[in-house]
Amino acid sequence: MKALVDTPVATRLEAAARRDRGARRAALGKAAAVCVAPAAVFLLVLIAYPLSRVFWSAFHYVNLTNPTVSGFARLDNFTTVFEDEHFWPSLWRTCEWTVVSVVGEYALGLASAVALAQPIRARSVFRAIVIIPWVIPIVVAGLNWTWMLTPDYGVLNIWMVKLGLMAKPYYWLGNLNSALLTVSFVNIWRSFPFYTISLLAALLSVPREILESAAMDAAGPIRRFVYITMPELKIVSLTLIFIHVIWTAINFDFIWVMTQGGPYNASETLPIMIYRYAMEDFDVGAASALAMMTMGFMLAVFFIYWYGARSSSRESATW
Amino acid sequence: MKRLTIGLAAAALAVCGFGAPALADPVTLHFWVAWSPQQADAVGAKKEIAAYEQAHPDVKIDVQNITYDALHDKLLTALAGGDAPDLSWGLPEWLGELSRMGALRDMTEEAKTWPDRSAIYPNVIDALTIDGHLLAMPHYLGIRALLVHEDMLKAAGVASPPKTWDELIADSQAIKQKTGKFGFGIAGTGVRSPQELIMYLAQNGVSLAERQPDGKYRNTWLDDKAKLANATDVFAFYKNLLDKGVINPDGASWGWEEEDTNFGLGQYAMVIDGAWMESRETQNPEAMKDVTISAPPYKEKPATFFEINPFYVYKAGKHPKETWDFVAFMNGKEFQEAVHPNNSPRSDVTTDSKWGRGFTVLAPTGVVFPPVPLGAVTRDMIETLGQTLLKNEEPEAVARWLAASINKDLKQAGELSGN
Repeated sequence: MKALVDTPVATRLEAAARRDRGARRAALGKAAAVCVAPAAVFLLVLIAYPLSRVFWSAFHYVNLTNPTVSGFARLDNFTTVFEDEHFWPSLWRTCEWTVVSVVGEYALGLASAVALAQPIRARSVFRAIVIIPWVIPIVVAGLNWTWMLTPDYGVLNIWMVKLGLMAKPYYWLGNLNSALLTVSFVNIWRSFPFYTISLLAALLSVPREILESAAMDAAGPIRRFVYITMPELKIVSLTLIFIHVIWTAINFDFIWVMTQGGPYNASETLPIMIYRYAMEDFDVGAASALAMMTMGFMLAVFFIYWYGARSSSRESATW
Repeated sequence: MKRLTIGLAAAALAVCGFGAPALADPVTLHFWVAWSPQQADAVGAKKEIAAYEQAHPDVKIDVQNITYDALHDKLLTALAGGDAPDLSWGLPEWLGELSRMGALRDMTEEAKTWPDRSAIYPNVIDALTIDGHLLAMPHYLGIRALLVHEDMLKAAGVASPPKTWDELIADSQAIKQKTGKFGFGIAGTGVRSPQELIMYLAQNGVSLAERQPDGKYRNTWLDDKAKLANATDVFAFYKNLLDKGVINPDGASWGWEEEDTNFGLGQYAMVIDGAWMESRETQNPEAMKDVTISAPPYKEKPATFFEINPFYVYKAGKHPKETWDFVAFMNGKEFQEAVHPNNSPRSDVTTDSKWGRGFTVLAPTGVVFPPVPLGAVTRDMIETLGQTLLKNEEPEAVARWLAASINKDLKQAGELSGN
């Protein structure tokens, strides 16, 4: 049998088949390259090139209004950022704004998802209503809230005074202690529906049988929620929190529309600083250095999440 | 038949242009503005531009309306990207940075032979000229004056508007006592606040930066005790406004919108503001009917902020002749009478109303920003008001901080003298 297979004809046939396979693979590779090319060009032009420009500018003197400023800057742009008296307070405020926003969004999103998962009448109507803040453009939402919060003619202040909640109108966006918290509150209001719909979908996929079995074993609603429902929401929750930490930390428009980083820098975060370096100081080098640093912080968050998720999945596999 | 066909074809070709001079495509001028479409000046300007297009069929004006804040950023990025319009509106504070970028077209030669040049106030042309080059044309004048709700003044038993800082404080306290309303309003933040601060500094004999023999600029407060003391007085004045109940404490965070709206609604008695407040008479006729105009109160010498709002014409524009003709038209008597009857840069266009002559008489006391990149400088000025009004810092420390910051900003912009 072996002798038959090893005949020259068989060898030739096998070689021909190998050639065919090779040609097919090459053709497939070409077709794949053609299909991938538009996406690759898109990535190169719209992501890789701007990113590499930012990287280049971070190490060069680049001034938007002064063409004579040029040359390799070594780490000068980073030094400019570190020596800026606003940098550390802005970094702290970025963390504060991100943590308050994401925690608030998650808590409100989870509470509303649990409420909307209950078998109540007109549940679909409530589900539709809850999504409204999320579909309002940030600029429109920001401007409306700014007007509503104005101390002199804002409806919220008037209502709160009439209800006896406050003795006199309060300038929520104009006080050092309340500006950032107020913008965070508005951000929570606008972003929580995204959590609601995502968590609601996860809640509805929790197997009924497990919950019913637990109930039969005398587990109360809180116990069932903590030990059965919450673990089922873990992956969705981690994903939501991770992407919102990034979205919130780099958010520029909400703060800019409502306070422009004020009063007296009380709501200035790193993205606002980047804008100021570029468009007010015209120092594109420093703006790029800070943008690189912000990207570094975000990458660190990503790696923490990735390692966390990986070790968590390993633990689950071991169990 | 064949001959007829050939004849018709030849005739058609002749009609289409063969053998005749080709009709030139109309020139399109890209003009970026920042008007409020419903305001009288915008309505008037649109009519005048339409008339200009009708009179010049070879020119088409492509108007793009953008808000002032967005206009600044859009212009800078468009200029850096080589995609600038032919001309635009802009704030006078941008003159230094646009000049530094080399973005502005020098119109000195055209202006020399422009027959209407003598009609423009000489100090207006001077303010738009850097090193002998005319780098912008005037648009309108935003001279600031003291606007007073006279009924509140009368209710407080005050006979005439305050002339000095001390009178302003005393009168405001009287108004607060008698009417319960605040006497004065300021912009603590936003584009308006540096314009008010530069005026108070000028009223006490100090300027932000002075031109030095090497052609560059420097803040000299830290080199001169008298100047530092005068600058300190200005921040002490702001502090007094707050501590003595002259202004609403929220005013520390007001921008121009809050300042104008609250004055228009009669929420407080006096404000330093521009002739555009005339439009509030239409919106709030009852509250605005008692408004009178007078010179801003001062300490050492009378001074007001003289906003010479410019038209910027860009070097990168492809049609310099048509652009000059159009910008000259907008500085012509007909356009100015239709669009800026009260605040024209032309001395032959003015009205006797309080919104006209009430402001133009103050032109000789007007002060302007130095022609240096001002982005960081004005931000630092806003910051000093936060330090004074929100952080309650000592006026002298604030003045010292601003002096050092201005020189740091000038250095960063390559404009610091001796550097």
